[in-house]
Amino acid sequence: MNDVVQWAALAPLLALVGSLINAFFGRSLKEPVPGILASLAVAGGFVLAVLAFIGLQGSDHGVQVTLWRYLTAGTLHLDAGFMIDRLSVTMMLIITGVGLLIHIYSIGYMHGDDGNSRYFAELNLFVAAMLVLVMADSFPLMFIGWEGVGVCSYLLIGFWYRDRANPDAGRKAFIVNRVGDVGFLLAMFLTFKAFGTLNIGAVNAAAPAMLYGSATLTLIGLLYLLGAAGKSAQLPLQVWLPDAMAGPTPVSALIHAATMVTAGVYLIARIGAVYAMAPAAASTVAWVGALTAFVAAFAAFAQTDIKKILAYSTISQVGYMIAAVGAGAYWVGIFHVLTHAFFKALLFLTAGSVIHAMNGEQDIRKMGGLGRKMKITGVTALIGTLAISGVPFLAGFFSKDAILSGTLTSGLLAGNGGDVVYILLLITAAMTAAYMFRWYYGIFAGASRVDKHAAEHLHESPPVMTWPLGILALGSIVVGYLGLPEFAFPNLIQRWLEPATAKVDFNTVSVSTDWLLVGLSILMVALGLGVGWWVYHVRKGAPVASLKESNLAGASRGALGFDALYRILFVASGEGVAGGIATLDREVVDRGLTGTGAAVGLLGRLATALQSGFTRAYAFAMLLGVVTLVVVAALTGVLK
Amino acid sequence: MIALFVILIPLAFAVVTGLTGTRRSLAVLFGLVSTLATFALALFLPGSSGVSVPWIPGFGATFTLQPGGAGVVLTLVAALTMIPTVLVAARRVERAPGVFVALLLVMQAGLAGVFLAGDLILFYVAWEVTLIPSLLLLGMFGRDKRRAAVLKYLVYAIGGSFLMLISILAIKPLSGAASYRFADLMAATPHLAGATQVWLFVGLAIGMAVKLPMWPLHSWLIDFNEQNHPSGAADVAGTLYKVGAFGFFAWAMPLLPIGVERVGPVLLALAVVTALYGALAATAQTDIKRLLAYASLSHMGIVGVGIFGLHLAGLNGAIFLLAAQMLSTGGLFLISGMLYERRHSFDLDKFGGLAKSAPALSALSLFVLFTAIGVPGLANFPGEFLSLLGTYQQHPWLAALATLSVIAAGVYGVNFFQRLYQGEEREPTREIGALETFALIPLIAGILWLGLSPAPQLQRIQEQSKLIAAPTATAEAPAPPPAALAVQAGPGALADALGGSR
Amino acid sequence: MVPTPYYIAVSALLMTIGSVGVLTRRSAIMVFLSVELMLNAANLAIVAFARQWSASGVEPALSGQAAVFIILAIAAAEVAVGLGILVAIFRNRVSTDVDELSEVRL
Repeated sequence: MNDVVQWAALAPLLALVGSLINAFFGRSLKEPVPGILASLAVAGGFVLAVLAFIGLQGSDHGVQVTLWRYLTAGTLHLDAGFMIDRLSVTMMLIITGVGLLIHIYSIGYMHGDDGNSRYFAELNLFVAAMLVLVMADSFPLMFIGWEGVGVCSYLLIGFWYRDRANPDAGRKAFIVNRVGDVGFLLAMFLTFKAFGTLNIGAVNAAAPAMLYGSATLTLIGLLYLLGAAGKSAQLPLQVWLPDAMAGPTPVSALIHAATMVTAGVYLIARIGAVYAMAPAAASTVAWVGALTAFVAAFAAFAQTDIKKILAYSTISQVGYMIAAVGAGAYWVGIFHVLTHAFFKALLFLTAGSVIHAMNGEQDIRKMGGLGRKMKITGVTALIGTLAISGVPFLAGFFSKDAILSGTLTSGLLAGNGGDVVYILLLITAAMTAAYMFRWYYGIFAGASRVDKHAAEHLHESPPVMTWPLGILALGSIVVGYLGLPEFAFPNLIQRWLEPATAKVDFNTVSVSTDWLLVGLSILMVALGLGVGWWVYHVRKGAPVASLKESNLAGASRGALGFDALYRILFVASGEGVAGGIATLDREVVDRGLTGTGAAVGLLGRLATALQSGFTRAYAFAMLLGVVTLVVVAALTGVLK
Repeated sequence: MIALFVILIPLAFAVVTGLTGTRRSLAVLFGLVSTLATFALALFLPGSSGVSVPWIPGFGATFTLQPGGAGVVLTLVAALTMIPTVLVAARRVERAPGVFVALLLVMQAGLAGVFLAGDLILFYVAWEVTLIPSLLLLGMFGRDKRRAAVLKYLVYAIGGSFLMLISILAIKPLSGAASYRFADLMAATPHLAGATQVWLFVGLAIGMAVKLPMWPLHSWLIDFNEQNHPSGAADVAGTLYKVGAFGFFAWAMPLLPIGVERVGPVLLALAVVTALYGALAATAQTDIKRLLAYASLSHMGIVGVGIFGLHLAGLNGAIFLLAAQMLSTGGLFLISGMLYERRHSFDLDKFGGLAKSAPALSALSLFVLFTAIGVPGLANFPGEFLSLLGTYQQHPWLAALATLSVIAAGVYGVNFFQRLYQGEEREPTREIGALETFALIPLIAGILWLGLSPAPQLQRIQEQSKLIAAPTATAEAPAPPPAALAVQAGPGALADALGGSR
Repeated sequence: MVPTPYYIAVSALLMTIGSVGVLTRRSAIMVFLSVELMLNAANLAIVAFARQWSASGVEPALSGQAAVFIILAIAAAEVAVGLGILVAIFRNRVSTDVDELSEVRL
């Protein structure tokens, strides 16, 4: 069975080859060949992942595939290798599975775009990098995938590069990611210092033997958190994701919902053993996740762009995942990655469908009642909305619930505010339901605010786009059942993933408490949806109309002003410092040293003045010289 | 013996090519033949034997060539980089391309001498000999403000070299070594008194710091790059000539350990400043050449950080980065030449939207650019990573500061790319041509080779790094977790295919 | 006899007058005159010392006095050559002003 698992190592290669073919020959291939090619590459990866999944059924250990020696420096011998275990296979399935659906969808969405082959080349490259990220068995190799997805994200956000705003958004993402990368790099350096190795498995194995709660482990945890925050758009590095919506919608679905932004969650889950030994770091992770979830949900209320709402929603949901892994509930975090991948990708793709039908319009104030004209999109969007809100029996309910109970009962968070984290996440659940209701209702239901001209073009998307919607919708319902709460039902995903992740203590609670918690979260969902229903359907938006100009709305729209703050704090001052250094270099350092050249010239000119040709001056000089000699000789006693 | 030919072949061809003067086709022919032959030969350098004959017996100077470790890697990569450089030079220099190519070949010979020298006097002679072609390239073929640039370059270089010479001349008599051969010096110098080592080291350090270049002695580089011939070929040569780091690594540091111990921290701090300063200044530039000059300064700062951290990993990484940046920075300079061809300006504001009509050029530029800013998987990353990793072990704060430069690198890198290629296009541009593609191919191949499989080269560099820093005592076990099943998917076969001896 | 210091004093005086003359006189003839004065001042000093040392039996007086003769002869030769050059210059440009002869320079 090992052989089958081992072949999964080829998955990134397939995607890479697909990318290269499209990159070099894509121009000469007629549509839809590039898209089909790219989809086949991902499909191949999916097949390999499924095979590996089957192959790993019996054992809870992974398979190590060593490729070649990458680095050598004294005692540091690092091989490029893959670790294909339950955790990485789960991620692989998500990446290639959801990725495949999005590739197929893109064939329709990017139809007619003259960058079609370039799009698929970059998308395939992304898949390859993401696969490397999740399969890597060492930190540097993971970092190759980590920055690789960053590069692809940059390219795809700025895909329609003719409009300067798009590449600028890509640039913002890249730079903010780089800030996080500094954290990742420093974490790697410190890891090597503390553990003497950069192999993930070895670090995980050695962690339990280290000093519990030591400063070094805590610092390592915090630095990796910084990296994760950059990649997963968490506080304080969340500012790039809303701007990233400038890219094509399938890109937002794949990269900025299902995969790249979950890389941070995966990282922390992967090195859970380290966090399990550093409660301060783990608690910080959970706090960051919870705060981010709350702030992002708050910001989602005042947004008017169909994708920006989903962007803030993503930030918020990823916050949930981060909170989960911070609490030590690693399988829970990955579970939410799985469910979120389905319903968020679905939501984005429905948004894409709408944008496609509305000829590029993205402002929800100009939409409304679209569900009547676009049945499939409307229904699937509703399913996605209900799923993300955490409505019982849909996917989001199970995973969100597990997160909530995980943060409340976590041993790592006990004493570090685990209950506050829980409360934040609980409130955010209500907010999520509310703003998602607003999103759905404002676009698909209610009165139509659509411009007459646009209304004529409204049509449902072609099958190549609606089939993926259907499959994702199905997944949004079904996938949740993999994680039925263990206190009452068999929890498949927990049993699958737990052996592959670190062990953390959780307080056990009585079954009745468990049911109580479930009830509480259902209450929150009902509250959110209820408020939404009342405000938008019953009162047709009247209660919030007056709020639109308020400070509260302003704060929400500006997402608490992080962007503006950063612009002043970093961009402006950075430009100032850089300009200052450039000027300093040109004027001061340069002149200072070329000044010596001028000084030498000056000395030269002085010396020239002596050679005047003036005979009497020469004579005088001679006399002076002789007198000096005599005096000196007399004084030093040479003449005796 | 191979080492000797690696030096002689370019020299011989230089003479021939120089004589052809203005005949472009001959310049192309001789240039390509020479560089290809040199590169092919250089592939056989590892493990080859050296040469050692007495040269100035009364003085103790020998003609010793010692193809060992780091020098071989650098010579090889330099040889690879020279191939596209002479091609571009031969085709793009307007008058006297033969002379230009001849100067490039002389430089190559001199560089090989610097990297492969096993005798300190030979090292110095090669060091100075290589200065001459770079001066001539700037002075004869440079742009309108070249005189000032030449003067500045000359003052800095000679000033530094003078101090270096004093130290070099003093080191043998003071230490009582049998000759200027490295082995003989190594046996004698560690016994020198601390104070003596320090001033000898300082003398060497100043000369090498100018060439590194290290802040605050770096200003010559900016004008040097700005005023060189617009094809970028002379700038590539200048990139290859950043031998200061190698001087520290191969001579100053192994020979004078106490000097390193005392003066090292200052140099490390200056290197950190150089890395940050260069990256920040680069973000504010609007002239392509100046931007690349500052960027290159920043990379050399990281090289310095790796070297002065005195950790084996850092040393390996630093010299690796030195080799890698020959390819990436060199590639960027050639690309800048291609851009100049199209707009006759190096002003970033004159560009924009080039990706529309020159997508291949855009893609290749992006590739080389990302290599330069240290994207993993490409050539610069292993060097940068190890440099910072190594230095972090002993000096975490300084290394962390230096790591911040990657943010600035991201800024200037992406800005550079965007202002050139994104946005609306003012006028259509020519897509990348055959010559230009052929020029970039060797560099891209080199980038992939170094980026994906750095270990063999790192192993070679380590032969010399060991003379400065001992391998760390921490036990390294890249063992997979005990419970996992390890599968070796033919690492042996793959490794052999990718880079020869381990 | 007159004590030697008095002779030295006169010699120094003459030397000073001569030096000042060389430095401040603009006419070439006067410069020559002053140079002669300086030479004779030196002669005086030599003769004074010669007498002093011979009186105390250290040196025969003749060696000092022989020196004077040699100096006188050299002075005469120098004046002859110098006046010859001066006449040649005078033929070329009418003035003998030293300040105008400033071609010996870099």
